[in-house]
Amino acid sequence: MKFIKLFILLLAVFSPLYALAEKAKTIEELAAMYDSTRCKECHAEIYARWENSHHARSLMGVQDGLMMTPLAIKGATPFSPDDPGKATLKTFPCFKCHLPQALVAADDVFAADYAKALVAQDKARVSKLRITCIVCHNTKAIIHKLSEGKPEAGVLYGSKDVASHDDEFFKKIKKGSIMDHAIMCGQCHGLGPNLEFENPVQCATLYGSYEHNYLSKGGQQQCQECHMQKVDGFADHLIAPNWNDLEGTKKILQDTIAMDVQTVGYEWLLKSKDLKPLVVVNTKINQNAGHRIPDG
Amino acid sequence: MVLEVTAKTADGKEVYNTERHYHTQATDCRTNKMLYGAQVKTQYIRDTSLQPYETKAETFEILLPQGVRTVDVTVSLRYEINKPDNFIEIAKVQRKVSLDR
Repeated sequence: MKFIKLFILLLAVFSPLYALAEKAKTIEELAAMYDSTRCKECHAEIYARWENSHHARSLMGVQDGLMMTPLAIKGATPFSPDDPGKATLKTFPCFKCHLPQALVAADDVFAADYAKALVAQDKARVSKLRITCIVCHNTKAIIHKLSEGKPEAGVLYGSKDVASHDDEFFKKIKKGSIMDHAIMCGQCHGLGPNLEFENPVQCATLYGSYEHNYLSKGGQQQCQECHMQKVDGFADHLIAPNWNDLEGTKKILQDTIAMDVQTVGYEWLLKSKDLKPLVVVNTKINQNAGHRIPDG
Repeated sequence: MVLEVTAKTADGKEVYNTERHYHTQATDCRTNKMLYGAQVKTQYIRDTSLQPYETKAETFEILLPQGVRTVDVTVSLRYEINKPDNFIEIAKVQRKVSLDR
């Protein structure tokens, strides 16, 4: 049995992603199927920035809080199963964005394994599941599936066509239609309540804010222009802010939000012969982001 | 996000403290209780967050107690992360404000 499991794992690591008919049943199997470690051989700068990003710990929450834990605990949410061993993919609506590969490459046995890891607060295992290079540059790269087809096996999607890509599986790069558009991010950094589930859930609503309250006021920048500005010549895959880096996040917030304070002290003549000692503080706060702050 | 305004006398006694809270607020639409957590939130019922291209303006009127003519005013703008004692202070302004010239 151990040999079979090892064989499946090795197959997952070394075989073409989409050639696998077998769906992942454990955290380790799914992590191996979408592992992007080899990308850093040629894209070290980009990979290093991504490794510190929230995309690289999409199930860990802000400051490693394992935010999906309530979903695995009986009675904590409408989705929670009686027992973590009975969890299914439907138990975790958050997979839609926090682990989209689970919906195409894992089955209910995986969901139960993940639920047990949450109950055990096993951060070492949960942290293996990430929004890797493959997720954005393949799985989520095409939204016009009727017009363009589904993402092709063996193809990564980027900002330009590359005829030959030096990788054992992804041998070609195609220019993606939406890679430089806000909607690429908007697929997950959302519009509002997700009504497709049997109970609605509402997480990030940044893209809704961007669409309805930034563009409407004349803003014209895409998410990538602020959050993926070039660092050392490469689009910044940290995609800041990184909430685990408080100093870095503070700098971003200070660059984005400005506060003006005006004060005056005087004696206010509220009525005849009745001077009131009064201090007035006026504050004005502006922000220059393309969305509300804070969101969610 | 929280804007806190405090005023203290020269000997440190607080004579004024108030806060404004800037954030989206949601319920599950089944009760009027506000909820945190994406798994249970259904709809925003209020949004006091900072919006693009908009100025959030506030005025605080501090009536000083009898005999107090000078206070130290502190205005702090903080981004709270998950809980009130876990925050990033974005800006802090301190002023001595007197009724006397």
